[in-house]
Amino acid sequence: MTGWPRMLRRGLALFPAFGILTGLFFMPIALLLAVSFWSVRSYRLVPGFALDAYARTFSFYGPLFISTMLIAAAVALLCVVVGFVFAYGARFRSGRYGDLFILATMITLFGGYLVKIYSWKAILSANGILNSTLLWLGLVDTPVSWFIFNRGAVIVALAHFLLPFAILPIYSALRNVPDITLEAARDLGASPWTTLVRVVLPQCKAGLVAAFAICFLSAAGDYVTPMFLGGGSGIMLGQFIVSEFSTRFNWPVGAAMSFSLMGVSALVISAIWLAVVGRRG
Amino acid sequence: MMRIVAFAWSLVMGLLSVFLLGPLVLVAIFSFSSNALISFPMGDLTLKWYRDLFVNPDFYAALSNSLAIALPVALISTVTGTLAAYAFAEWRTRLGLPLLALLGLPVLLPPLVIAISLVVLYVRWLGLPLGRPAVIGGHVLVTQPLVAAVIASRMASFDFTVLEAARDLGASRWQTFWKVTLPQMRAAIVGAALIAFALSLDEFIIAVFTIGGGNTISTFVWGKIKTTLDPSINAIATILLLMTIGLTLIALRLTRYRG
Repeated sequence: MTGWPRMLRRGLALFPAFGILTGLFFMPIALLLAVSFWSVRSYRLVPGFALDAYARTFSFYGPLFISTMLIAAAVALLCVVVGFVFAYGARFRSGRYGDLFILATMITLFGGYLVKIYSWKAILSANGILNSTLLWLGLVDTPVSWFIFNRGAVIVALAHFLLPFAILPIYSALRNVPDITLEAARDLGASPWTTLVRVVLPQCKAGLVAAFAICFLSAAGDYVTPMFLGGGSGIMLGQFIVSEFSTRFNWPVGAAMSFSLMGVSALVISAIWLAVVGRRG
Repeated sequence: MMRIVAFAWSLVMGLLSVFLLGPLVLVAIFSFSSNALISFPMGDLTLKWYRDLFVNPDFYAALSNSLAIALPVALISTVTGTLAAYAFAEWRTRLGLPLLALLGLPVLLPPLVIAISLVVLYVRWLGLPLGRPAVIGGHVLVTQPLVAAVIASRMASFDFTVLEAARDLGASRWQTFWKVTLPQMRAAIVGAALIAFALSLDEFIIAVFTIGGGNTISTFVWGKIKTTLDPSINAIATILLLMTIGLTLIALRLTRYRG
């Protein structure tokens, strides 16, 4: 065989991408994990093996941790349910307009992270579009203040941001459900509801869990949305990872919070995977 | 009954489309409104906010930073991602998919974690300054798996027998790559590069942690949202939207992505 041996060629082709992955991802993540066991004394990092940072994460930040997980779960659930309705509609109920709905999803997907958050702030704030419309229509006399700066506003904005990430995997799962099985179910006398529950849903379980996982992880790790829409003192862990890391320079606690967040998120997602898809996948 | 169901579905799909696109459309519409705030009823039509922006030197500084980051990001991640996808496709064993998943791990983790781990690496261990190269590294990390995924999905429908034909007809491996493989893959590669470029332009969290001084377009937008209610935000946001959405729509056409 002429030229370079196969393995070497493949190795060379993989090298740049995995070199970057190793140098800028595996190494820094390992370093960050090491830092999470360090401690801070009089504003200086002290290497070692201490669990102080994790203790602080689960005691001091415990309630915030739970609140973050609940917000992430609410966002992910909302995205999966609404995403399923939208993907189902685009796949089975829209005829030739189905592609257009998916195009709208793609546009939303790429339509700017900060722009979306800013837009929700402009929609929900006291002198925003929603309130000014309600005032103009005479439906309220004074601006409604509870549209913004609470968990609800954060959940709505995160769900808007993450909905495309739910729609696309669910849609691609639904595309693998052949029309003919639906026709067969109907011919055999199944109601639309029975067809949905017994034919469609079992075939796209993996897609639904994948959508939940993506939305849950992204929502749990977000800090910009709660910063703008969540109100004064902070309601999600990400905000405090940033403040521990940047303003208090307590890297160990920031690192420990990051790994705890990822670890607990992974547990939640695995539990849901096992419950819905089962051991055999 | 059938009519009612069909109407209900149109209504649901219409409302959800408004929910998806509405926030983006609002920003674009109000970038032409004389109102200082996004509120109803909207004021007169104006291009004032765009004029303000185009005479603002900070805007150009941020834009040139963003381009100086997004261009190398697109270039590097297209090369590394395409090579990786090529290796995966040739592998044709069970190892390809797990490797692709491994490459995609940085996309799955919160960008905040990627950002702070990079800061720890650059500042504490390597003693390197933050700045544009630091941002480029972080962005390549999250764009190369997407490039690899786009190219790999194109390669899945690639006819490998034409490569064998080229080799049988006496072309060298290198000639086969340049004259047969690359031309067939060109659209997918350009599309993947455009997606990487658009993602880098829009990316905020890694950029804000690793840029050090100065601004990218997204950190510039951030500064404006954070401090003032500056109506020129609508104009910048619209420009950013047009760039990212325009680029990705072209990319989707090129890669013939269908959901």
